[in-house]
This record gives sequence, C-alpha cells and structure tokens, in this order.
Amino acid sequence: MAATFFGEVVKAPCRAGTEDEEEEDEERTETPEDREVRRQLARKREVRLLRRQTKTSLEVSLLEKYPCSKFIIAVGNNAVAFLSSFVMNSGAWEEVGCAKLWNEWCRTTDTAHLSPAEAFCVFYHLKSNPSVFLCQCSCYVAEDQQYQWLEKVFGSCPKKNTQVTVLTSRHVTDYRTSESPGSLRCPFLRALKTQTLKEPPCCPLLEQPNIVHDLPAAVLSHCQVWKLPAVLYLCYTDVMKLDLVTMEAFKPVLSSRSFKGLVKNIPQSTEILKKLVTAEEIQSNIYT
Amino acid sequence: MASRYDRAITVFSPDGHLFQVEYAQEAVKKGSTAVGIRGTNIVVLGVEKKSVAKLQDERTVRKICALDDHVCMAFAGLTADARVVINRARVECQSHKLTVEDPVTVEYITRFIATLKQKYTQSNGRRPFGISALIVGFDDDGIPRLYQTDPSGTYHAWKANAIGRSAKTVREFLEKNYTEDAIANDNEAIKLAIRALLEVVQSGGKNIELAIIRRNQPLKMFSAKEIELQVTAIEKEKEEAEKKKSKKTV
Repeated sequence: MAATFFGEVVKAPCRAGTEDEEEEDEERTETPEDREVRRQLARKREVRLLRRQTKTSLEVSLLEKYPCSKFIIAVGNNAVAFLSSFVMNSGAWEEVGCAKLWNEWCRTTDTAHLSPAEAFCVFYHLKSNPSVFLCQCSCYVAEDQQYQWLEKVFGSCPKKNTQVTVLTSRHVTDYRTSESPGSLRCPFLRALKTQTLKEPPCCPLLEQPNIVHDLPAAVLSHCQVWKLPAVLYLCYTDVMKLDLVTMEAFKPVLSSRSFKGLVKNIPQSTEILKKLVTAEEIQSNIYT
Repeated sequence: MASRYDRAITVFSPDGHLFQVEYAQEAVKKGSTAVGIRGTNIVVLGVEKKSVAKLQDERTVRKICALDDHVCMAFAGLTADARVVINRARVECQSHKLTVEDPVTVEYITRFIATLKQKYTQSNGRRPFGISALIVGFDDDGIPRLYQTDPSGTYHAWKANAIGRSAKTVREFLEKNYTEDAIANDNEAIKLAIRALLEVVQSGGKNIELAIIRRNQPLKMFSAKEIELQVTAIEKEKEEAEKKKSKKTV
C-alpha cells in the first residue's frame, strides 16, 4: 500500500514478485489457535434475547413465543425518541424482553456487563392489547449480527398476519438525487415497502438508486422473503444527533394504519419530545 | 467519483465540483441558526444560542461579534475558523481607518472576508474556512446593509437571510413574511427576526440572542429580559390571530 500526494491510500505493485502465492498458502492451513479465536469471537458477538424478569435467554424466537399483529421497530436515536414521546406516552407498555449484543461500535470492551444505553434492543407490548409490539433499538447491529437478530426475534417461520413498521433516519448526504444538495428541504421522509403491503405509505417512496442499510434493510428483506406486510419510513436529515426537527419529521406516519389507536395526546407528546432533547444535549464547542 | 476528488482542495472533479468546498458548506449546517434582517432604519442579527455547559463561562460563547463600531457579524460553523476570520477582519477595519482615515464600508469588509475565504480554496495544504457569515451595518451614507458570505468566498447582499442549521426553513419563513410594512418599523423588524428564529429554535426565547444597529448608533445587544418581552408579545399576537381565525370559521 502506498499514500499518494492527495492523501489517498492505494495498492502499489510489488516488484519483489507476486504476493498471491504466499497468501494462498497461508489461507489453506488454519491452526487450532485460529479456530479457537474464531469461536471466542463468535461467542462474544452472539446476539442474546433475554426475558425481562429473569434475564434468562428465550428458548424460542420472540414472535413465536408471543403472538403479534403489529410490530413497530425504531432504529436510531431520533426514531426511538419519537416513539417514546408519541406512542409510549399514550398508553401503558410493558417490557417483555431485550436483545443484548456486543460489537466494535460499543464503547466498552467488557462484553459481560453491557449497559442498556450501549447495546440493547428493548421489546415492549401494549398492556391493553398484547399483540401490539414495539422495539426500541439505539445500538448498532453489525452485519454479521443482523441474521442472528432476525432469527431470535422473528424466528424461522414468522406468521403472515404480522404487520411490521420500521422507523429510522439517515444523513442526507447519503441521499442520491439529480437535484442540487442545497435545494433539498431537510428533513424529509421516504418509504420502502414489501409487496404484500396493500396500504399506500404516507410519504413518497424511496427513489432509485438510493438503498437502505443496516438493520432496517435486514428487517425489510426478511419481511419481503417471508411475505409479511412491512413498511420502512426513512427520515433523511442533516443533523444526526437527537434533534427536535428530525423527530417531528416522523409525524406524518402517525396517520398510517400501523399507528391507529396508539397515539392519544399529540401536543403533550411534543412537549415530552422537547424535554428529551434538552435532557440529552451534549455540548460540543467545535461548532457554533 | 467523489472518493478520488474530494481529498485535495485544489483538485476539480470531472464534473466541476470542488468537494472540499461543498463539504465545508456541510460544516456550516452543523452550527446553530443565525438570521439577519435589513430594515429601513435598522439592521437586526438574531442567533440561536447554544446551551453552555454548567462550568462554562457563558460570556465567552458568542455568535455575534462587532468588527468595528458600525459593523457587526454573526457566523455559523466551526468556532475556531470564525475566531481567525473575525480577528483578521478586525485588524483590517483598524488598518483601513489608519490608512485612509475613514471607517470601512460594510461592502469593503465583506469583500475582504470573502477574498480571504476564497484564497483558502485555492491553496495547497490548506482547507477552506468552515463558516458562513452574516455581516450587517450602516455606511456613512446612512444606508443599512446586510451581506452573506460562504466558505467558497462568494458574497451577496440580502434583504433578509439565514445561515446554519435549518436555514432553509427560516429563509422560507422570511420569504413569506418579509414585507415593506414588516420592516418599516424598527420594532416590527426585531419581531420578524425573533419570529423567524422561533420557527426552528428548540426551547423558545431563552435560547435566542439578538443584536441591532440603528443609524448613527453603536451596536446594542438585547438582554434576556428584553428578548423575553418581545417573545411574550409575539405569542400574544399569535393567540389573538388564532382566536380571530376560529371566530371567522364559526
């Protein structure tokens, strides 16, 4: 590898002969130590689904254990805060379990004692209607962990009458468009849905060539494969930290069928949202 | 394509972009909102104040700075870059006064800042300044001025403008509400600035800072109490307008 004048790192040709033959030899022989390291890493990165009361692992997947007609998943700080203010404050929700996981994005190396803020996805159901489920996921679920997460939550044969709604946000610089970036009115919502969902989404569909990433993409793909009706609402924003304007951009989804009967007092929820933002404000002196 | 042409400031991409300049404009959006309004007899600068840490001295966190007795500036973006630009501008204001025995015009100092920013988009080993600035003041002829500069080094005169986070929302509000009536009166111009900021400021009046310059008068910073009074008056007007609207529909 070599660095150019402009600071790019590029692969430089080697005049000492081809390196390919040496690499192939190394790959063929895997020692027992390598296997042990791989096993330990796999154990460290395992996604565990825990019961709320006993903190023991669930033997079956979450949706196999509890019947579910509506499943709302919030991925990322802004979506989680939006659901907390508008949905969770409008009814009595009970925690049923959590998914605990560790990856390189976690700020601690101690995989045994992870705090909820760091590496949890928490699952709730509505007390008055236990078939309505909600998941708040503030942690990052790595690519290799997404399949495990889906298996542990949805199981291998998910029921086709479960309607899934996913809320997430992404930085507007990831949005590909022929318009100039300055003319985009941030934040804005885009939707992506599975074939089996008949209801039209409450915002425009995500245009090509944009794609969805990470856990929301994994959930939507899983729903498409298993023919579950699912919709993903993606908010493109220019502020990735907890932000009132971004959270309020999710408001149009409250009119969709997924949220029918779940939202009661919108003005009060807006006040709760404002308090969440002021409570979580982290001071940065770099930008003024 | 962006990945090969976005590391060095002096390299154009095949489709004519200077990515570092465009990325600098993204850095501006990370700063809190600032709004500038040019009235008939007044210029107003309003900014969203960042909430300071408990142990931080609030006095030292400033978004509105005087460049000279008759010119002041609000910025959005990288704090350290702003400090460097403001210091250079202040030195230039005094140097101009000593050399030609006249204070700078608002346009002159804006052009100086814009030229400085442009130089940093065309030099090896440097990066652009990550700030946009709103520069306001009165010239000797008594005409109020408002200019805006951005990291590319362009500058334009405006009747009203906003920079920083949610600038687009504020600009759209100003386009709808900036009328000759709205700015004829000094107090109305001040209210327009506060109303524009209230569209995007998250915690109301206590997070707003305001500065005005009137003709032949020095810069005046509003106290928290004065801003609160204005916000209360605006909220009252809003309530009355809503009552009237609901009476009409009934």
